[in-house]
Amino acid sequence: MMRGAFFSKFSLFRKTKPFPNFSSPFSTTSKLNIFDRQLKRKQRDRAAWLMPQNDPLLNTVADNLLDRLQDCKKTFPSALCLGGSLQAITNSLHSGRGAIEKLIVMDPSNDMVQRCKNADRVSNEDNMEMMFVVGDEEFLPIKESSVDLVISCLGLHWTNDLPGAMIQSMLALKPDGLFLAAIFGGETLKELRIACTIAQMEREGGISPRVSPLAQVRDAGNLLTRAGFTLPSVDVDEYTVKYESALELIEHLRAMGETNALSEMNVILKRDTALATAAIYDSMFAAEDGTVPATFQVIYMTGWKEHHSQQKPKRRGSATVSFKDIQTQFANQS
Amino acid sequence: MVRVSKEVLQKAVTTLLSDFLVCPLSKNPLRYCEASNSLISDAIGVSFPIKNGVPCLVPREGKILDEEDASKPDNDTNSYTASDESQARSS
Repeated sequence: MMRGAFFSKFSLFRKTKPFPNFSSPFSTTSKLNIFDRQLKRKQRDRAAWLMPQNDPLLNTVADNLLDRLQDCKKTFPSALCLGGSLQAITNSLHSGRGAIEKLIVMDPSNDMVQRCKNADRVSNEDNMEMMFVVGDEEFLPIKESSVDLVISCLGLHWTNDLPGAMIQSMLALKPDGLFLAAIFGGETLKELRIACTIAQMEREGGISPRVSPLAQVRDAGNLLTRAGFTLPSVDVDEYTVKYESALELIEHLRAMGETNALSEMNVILKRDTALATAAIYDSMFAAEDGTVPATFQVIYMTGWKEHHSQQKPKRRGSATVSFKDIQTQFANQS
Repeated sequence: MVRVSKEVLQKAVTTLLSDFLVCPLSKNPLRYCEASNSLISDAIGVSFPIKNGVPCLVPREGKILDEEDASKPDNDTNSYTASDESQARSS
């Protein structure tokens, strides 16, 4: 019923094109690139070494995302897990959720995949077959209609062409396949955004983007319907993480591989400005106990690939009873 | 010991290849090349490396094959490759 509302204007901040253009593989300069994907790969390579075994934020998000699997009666023999917090997802899936038999683990970073692979070799006691691929979400190397489930946990917000990436995920799914994704939403790191802006204005007399643009909640539903998913649903969760200071926050972001990767990024960050940011962050947002909070807004998106067994709205005008008489209708039945 | 693990690795790659993987750019099937230990997309004449048993299908890692290399498999795909390649270049 509410789905009609999603078809309203697309107000995406990302400059997008309806379908990814596969014919010109190596000329990526022509289209607008918000994020430097190559830099992101390097950051994720680095994160593979920095990442702690158990990151509470990533684990919480992964658990929350995979809880949705238990709400479905369907089982998912083959699944594809896209970048982002890979290990949190694979650890959770090892506990047998969703009855997955074959899991393809894909990430743009080679080191991240190797890390997952090594971890898998140590703890491989169940019969879930894991396969590893290095691949880019924007150029998904997966055959059409081949997997039952696509999971993307905190990875898709770094794609230049989010609708394109989602369309490719949709194509990779078998009919009645499930798409589960979590991305960071626009409220994420709002404190840092404010502190950075003020510090830069103060010290450098101008601002440059330090925190990347993120999708808004209202865009998420549009994205799902635009990518062609049926029964879309979107929900939002906000987590507040407390750090000792802004510097620990940056360390954490680095360990998650979530640091700035804008292609228009000003690569020089003056030490002075960085310290000023930390000071402003502390003075504006610090809690009474001396910790500084950081907001992480996570948008969870769920969508299904079309299948004839799914419920559909009836054709317009096919109703035989007027809404006016609905009360009398039900009164008669009871 | 090493040989066994290598076989296991190759088996994983071949099941992946037959069931799931396609060329990330053209979405056409890939071919495993034992000599260079790489996956080759005949449609666009690009080879993707396999590192430590993990196929690396990021477009940037792909290497454009020389005409001679690309024409190895058989003449049937050859003509298709050539036309497709020129198309990709012109666009």
